[in-house]
Amino acid sequence: MPGVSSFLTPADVRRIASLQVLARTVVEGFCSGLHRSPHKGFSVEFREHRAYVPGDEIRRLDWKIFARRDRFYVREFEEETNVRATILLDVSGSMAYGSGEVTKHHYATRLAACLAYLMLQQADGVGLVSFDTGVREYIPPRSRPGHLRVLVDALAASKPGGETELGRVFHDLVARVHRRGLLIVISDCFGRVPDLLSALAHFRHARHEVILFQVWDPAELEFPFRTWTRFESLERAAHHQFVDPATLREAYLRRVAEFREELKRGCHRHRVDLVPLVTDRPYADALAQYLTLRRRRA
Amino acid sequence: MFVRGPPREGAAVTFLNIVLLGGLAAAAIPLIIHLLNRRRFQVVRWGAMMFLDDIVRTNRRRIRIEQLLLLLVRMAIPALLALAMARPVLTGIRALIRRAPSSTVVLFDNSFSMEAGEAGRSTAGAAREEAAAIVADLPRGSEAAVVGMAGPMPAVEDPTVDLVRIRSGLEDAPGGFGLARIAPALQTAAGLFASRMHQADRTVVIVSDFQRASWSPASTEERRRAWDALGAQAVPPRVVFFPIGAASTDNISVESIELSRPIVGTGQRVMVRAGLRNHGRRAYPDLRVHFRVDGVDRAAAMVSLAAGETEQALFPCTFDRAGSHVVEVRTEADALRADNAALASIPVLDRIPVLLVSGDANPAPLRGETAFLEIALQPFSRGGGKMSDLVATRVTPEDRFAPSMLDDARVVVLANVRQLSGDAVRALRDFVRDGGGLLVFPGDRASAAWYATQLAGAEGLLPAALGVLAGDPADDAGASAIVAQRHTHPALAPFNDPRRGSLGGSRIRAWYRLEVPSEFAEGVAARLDTGDPFLVERRVGEGRVLLSAVPCDADWSNLPMRPFYLPLMQEMVVHLASNVHPPRNVEVGDRLAAFLAEPEGEARAVVTDPEGTAHEVPVVRRGRRGVAEFAETDRPGLYTLRGPKDEPVHFVVRTPREESDLARVTEEEMKALATEAGAKVVRSGDEYRELERERRFGRELWRSAWWLLLALLLGELVLQRWFARRAA
Repeated sequence: MPGVSSFLTPADVRRIASLQVLARTVVEGFCSGLHRSPHKGFSVEFREHRAYVPGDEIRRLDWKIFARRDRFYVREFEEETNVRATILLDVSGSMAYGSGEVTKHHYATRLAACLAYLMLQQADGVGLVSFDTGVREYIPPRSRPGHLRVLVDALAASKPGGETELGRVFHDLVARVHRRGLLIVISDCFGRVPDLLSALAHFRHARHEVILFQVWDPAELEFPFRTWTRFESLERAAHHQFVDPATLREAYLRRVAEFREELKRGCHRHRVDLVPLVTDRPYADALAQYLTLRRRRA
Repeated sequence: MFVRGPPREGAAVTFLNIVLLGGLAAAAIPLIIHLLNRRRFQVVRWGAMMFLDDIVRTNRRRIRIEQLLLLLVRMAIPALLALAMARPVLTGIRALIRRAPSSTVVLFDNSFSMEAGEAGRSTAGAAREEAAAIVADLPRGSEAAVVGMAGPMPAVEDPTVDLVRIRSGLEDAPGGFGLARIAPALQTAAGLFASRMHQADRTVVIVSDFQRASWSPASTEERRRAWDALGAQAVPPRVVFFPIGAASTDNISVESIELSRPIVGTGQRVMVRAGLRNHGRRAYPDLRVHFRVDGVDRAAAMVSLAAGETEQALFPCTFDRAGSHVVEVRTEADALRADNAALASIPVLDRIPVLLVSGDANPAPLRGETAFLEIALQPFSRGGGKMSDLVATRVTPEDRFAPSMLDDARVVVLANVRQLSGDAVRALRDFVRDGGGLLVFPGDRASAAWYATQLAGAEGLLPAALGVLAGDPADDAGASAIVAQRHTHPALAPFNDPRRGSLGGSRIRAWYRLEVPSEFAEGVAARLDTGDPFLVERRVGEGRVLLSAVPCDADWSNLPMRPFYLPLMQEMVVHLASNVHPPRNVEVGDRLAAFLAEPEGEARAVVTDPEGTAHEVPVVRRGRRGVAEFAETDRPGLYTLRGPKDEPVHFVVRTPREESDLARVTEEEMKALATEAGAKVVRSGDEYRELERERRFGRELWRSAWWLLLALLLGELVLQRWFARRAA
């Protein structure tokens, strides 16, 4: 059975650990003085005292300490600032593409593991949904430390295949992820953009925060093929295109650029954080980029 | 546009390296690569099919067409490369004739303007080399001729297949002739093609400096007739213009030389007036002009000559010795030496012996019939001056006149002579016919009937019958006067210049109403204000007769009292005496003639031309004199004739100075001329050879093929990028 170390190199783990400081400034509920947790009073396990800052609720003041030291301290509880995050992992056939050793699926599962690890370190609840044309697996969010193993096992067991239908799947998920929280979508987003945006809007309507990691293979962005090529579909069996790539390259790149631009504008419209990732970049870089983005939003 | 020349030939292509044409198979390489590429494709399991599907769906048809087009271009590139390396040549049926013999006439400009040039090399020298090269390049068995445009080229103007002889003849061909005449040269070429040249492949090459003077629009009609004559040949020749030499306009010419009198006596002063012209744009502030007599420097003058201007230089001159002399005015201004000098031949006489036959030999002072005339003809000797008189008079009463007296005379004056014997009249007639001059002043003693029967008439000497007497010698009231007009007669022309006096102020109380037959009407040199002729001239044989309506003394008029009397008498006598010598200064092509001593048997004279070549001419007896003539005066310059018993006689053959203006036809004019002639224009020997090679062997297309290849390579790149953009 694969362990965390099979997904994360020690350097990655170290890097992610160092990023926890940043994560705390970003993830919902961490800056408890700036806004309130949506799940206040849910947990009662005491964690620590901290100095009072303006904005903290008066009822959380520890009057005993004030009596002893003549200073205001606030009591913090373990579950009080946690987020319920759900990672939506695309395991459609197109995610199986990789021009190098790393396929998009490979990259996506590792990224998901990183995120899960990061959030569990922050005691956030993390769940996992893998999907293609429908939901393949659903693991509800948990914050127990042992939940990481469950998630990692599920990620390791996932296999890409089948066609993509993001729109329909996401609409279905809205009903299943009924508690609002953070939705982390890891997908190549191949499909009709209007359908995808419609589904994301649905998430937003259900008051979910949505982060969309769009995974690209370098070859998909550069189309480096020169010789006659038979492109066989990873999603639909027997579907192929036999073309001279050199004559199509510019048209392909233009089409990809249009696609990306349309997606970018749509995400911006629905306040969805879109993070394009390329599989030749380290996961940690992607996480750093994401956390930087979240901190700016915060 | 009408183009003279042979009919257009059908197009065909041959190859110089036909083996390399096998490279055309390389055209299949792109196709093979294309097919191999399609067979040896790679398979990619691809995720982003949605993008590919979109592109292929919308561009499938266009992509196929573009790929086909690109494939064709790529196939054309190696094919064109092979084609270029095979050196294709565009030919017609010419490929069949190739080195077939041809007939070529080179019209060679041997005018003196071709002597201009730079860096020690004349245009004529370059023209000779190019013409020789043209002839040398003709195919074996070709016939060629070279026709001089300004003067004959005897060594080469007969068509021959001996091209070596033509080439060597060209080297020795004389140049420096006068004005290049295009039309006659073309007519000569047409004549050669018509009767003496036989090949079907015919060419006329005009090697010239293409001076504007020779190709002026004024001669267009003449040239057109010549072109038509050339085009009317059974096989019209091609025409090639070969302008040669560098254009230069800097040139100074001595364009004229004039003498103040046609005949000079020893010790007499004559003024030589030279006209100089600067044809170029460069100014000559200190132009040195030399004056020579018989090749010896006599004087020099400095002349300032601005661009385009004319100036005169005046040199006084006297001659110590009688005979034929040559004066020369020369500058050393420029390289075109042919017009840097002008010459003139002057016959210098000891005296002009004039026989005065007096009808009234009154010995009293100024009473004799010829008294005033003697003074007028010998003013210095009569007046005791230091200068010498040109005329030496001898007076004889009419009753003592003998034909033998004519032997020493050049002019005879009949002054109021009543009548002469029949022998005397016959002797006078012979005298005039042989070139002597006769001046007749009839007066009150003259027998009108004798003059009418013996001297007038078709076989006579006089240009008019005396007619009736008009006016009254004793009454001045009805006097007439000589009409002031512009005179064209050589003896009267000097009076057109007011500085030399006028014929005004005359009072003629009585005069003969001269009856001039219509055939001599043009001989009337001056009239009285009554309309009656005053002076009439008639040409008889080699000599001339002048008839006056009044006597030469003061009985009927005041002429001897007028200032013009002396110069008038002098001019008339000199005019009549000059007839003794045929013209010594003539134009190119004019006949040279000299009166020599009476020949004995088959005498011959020798004429030396400007090149130093001697020509023998016969001396023909004419009366008591011998006459030698020479007609080959094509070259301007000095000719010297030597009779068996005579002093040398010099002739100067002049040429029009249009050739001195070195301005050439402009590019536009050249195009117009080429159109007029249907001619090709070449600027160098290489260009001519290229033209000829193209004509004979066709035009090589390899250069065009290379350019096309380059264009295809660029086109392939451009097409590829363009298609890609369109696809985008």
